[in-house]
Amino acid sequence: MNPGIDLQQRFVETLMGYGLSPGAAKAVWLPLPLLLMLIGATVGVLVAVWLERKISAAAQQRIGPEFIGPLGILAPVADGIKLVFKEDIVPANSDPWLFLLGPVIVVIPVFLSYLIVPFGQNLMITDLGIGIFLWIALSSIVPIGLLMSGYASNNKYALIGGLRAAAQSISYEIPLALAVLAVVMMSNSLSTVDIVNQQSGYGILGWNLWRQPAGLLLFWISALAECERMPFDLPEAEEEIVAGYQTEYAGMKFALFYLGSYVNLVLSALLVSVLYLGGWDFPIPLDLLAGLLHISPDNSVLQIVTGGLGIVMTLLKAYFFVFIAILLRWTVPRVRIDQLLDLGWKFLLPIGLVNLLMTAGLKLALPFAFGG
Amino acid sequence: MLKFLKQVGGYAKETLQSARYIGQGLSVTFDHMSRRPITVQYPYEKLIPSERFRGRIHFEFDKCISCEVCVRVCPINLPVVDWEFNKALKKKQLKHYSIDFGVCIFCANCVEYCPTNCLSVTEEYELSTFDRHELNYDNVAMGRLPYKVTEDPMVTPIREFAYLPEKVLAGHDAPSNVARAGQRPEEIVAATPKQQEEKETEAP
Repeated sequence: MNPGIDLQQRFVETLMGYGLSPGAAKAVWLPLPLLLMLIGATVGVLVAVWLERKISAAAQQRIGPEFIGPLGILAPVADGIKLVFKEDIVPANSDPWLFLLGPVIVVIPVFLSYLIVPFGQNLMITDLGIGIFLWIALSSIVPIGLLMSGYASNNKYALIGGLRAAAQSISYEIPLALAVLAVVMMSNSLSTVDIVNQQSGYGILGWNLWRQPAGLLLFWISALAECERMPFDLPEAEEEIVAGYQTEYAGMKFALFYLGSYVNLVLSALLVSVLYLGGWDFPIPLDLLAGLLHISPDNSVLQIVTGGLGIVMTLLKAYFFVFIAILLRWTVPRVRIDQLLDLGWKFLLPIGLVNLLMTAGLKLALPFAFGG
Repeated sequence: MLKFLKQVGGYAKETLQSARYIGQGLSVTFDHMSRRPITVQYPYEKLIPSERFRGRIHFEFDKCISCEVCVRVCPINLPVVDWEFNKALKKKQLKHYSIDFGVCIFCANCVEYCPTNCLSVTEEYELSTFDRHELNYDNVAMGRLPYKVTEDPMVTPIREFAYLPEKVLAGHDAPSNVARAGQRPEEIVAATPKQQEEKETEAP
């Protein structure tokens, strides 16, 4: 497998060419991908918010934002600016420290999870050995923040919302982890890069989508529940509990919740594309295509095109799932809390277990197809 | 064992069925995405008010005989008729007439009962002001005619559903030169005198 472009190595080598020591050159490089990923995640959220508004409008035969920038592209930016300049209100008799810590604890793990999202062979912040496990671990911190903000708000609705969020996150973490486990078992690695590499080579036919159809559904349903998206948005159900744990929040702290929920959605979509749709892999194997056209794998133009195409493919797949999430929002009504827990514990969990066992069995029976 | 398998089978069947229903729902929302927006882009596009639209009331000062019928038929006695008896003419002389449209419910009872037809409804509905007292229209303000939506060069007029040609469902899709389905009022009026004549000839 061709490693593709290694930006880090190139960058460090260039700086060393200007007479910097290898350590200093690496230190200059270090913050760059972090910053880039932070900006990328934020822009991704802006795009998701814009898509949400436009697609919601289209599904309801409206136009949606139109005059704020061409096609209303700047509408989410205007939202953000408005929230930044709004007054920060702390309700009376609340716990100000927990009230502040809540949104922070919700947002930070979500952004941290971007550490392991790969956009290409070397186009990621770190290729951690525990990769996908880090994401599962980080995502279980979020309900603590939600519970914290629900408790600190000194508001009944906020408390109910926080409790619901905790119950929901805990019960859907398990099927999510089981779905991931099946994929991990096939690729013999927790690293996201290895998971994608295991799927690539045969184009669209090699993707986990065909080997784990139940896992894909399981993962996506659980991910929607983790993101508190319709039809699982019970913690912030407007008709019942105002806005759940967000009720007392305003200004920047509310913006953190808002940002967190959309970053989480985009992140889940990215991980679905990594785990089940082959990540940056093109539907037609590019190595084969290059071989047919007699282009050497070391050709720098080919490497840049492959890298760019990888990023585009990852984003396209991810935004396809964002689109489905938005469409589902206007299709499916909200489930009740008992239905939610029924679905999680009595349906997804057994199916996840069966899926895992089947994968294990198939891995033993057909090691060539299921990564033996 | 068999019973258990039966249960599992039923459960799987139900699951598949619900999945199919969700799929159907998704296809409905997806289909709606490709349809044209039905919303009217208000300041740039406006719906043409219907024939029987009851908007702001128009008043003709010279026709009024100060009989105060409008006040009596009004649910809240809203019109203010300020008149004085002119002894020389032996007639009531109207000095001021006003209706507060911030209080009016636009039932148009006054228009219905006015003996001299000096009151009429217009199609004006944009009555927003910064101060509610500005809605207290006097006889001069009520004598003004509204600007027609169809004559405003800044506005694209859009027909309501009942005024569209046959088989057209959205106002945006209707070409402005095609008449609506069914007979127009003037056609009905043109047809009526004939029937009256026929009846008259039949009567003796």
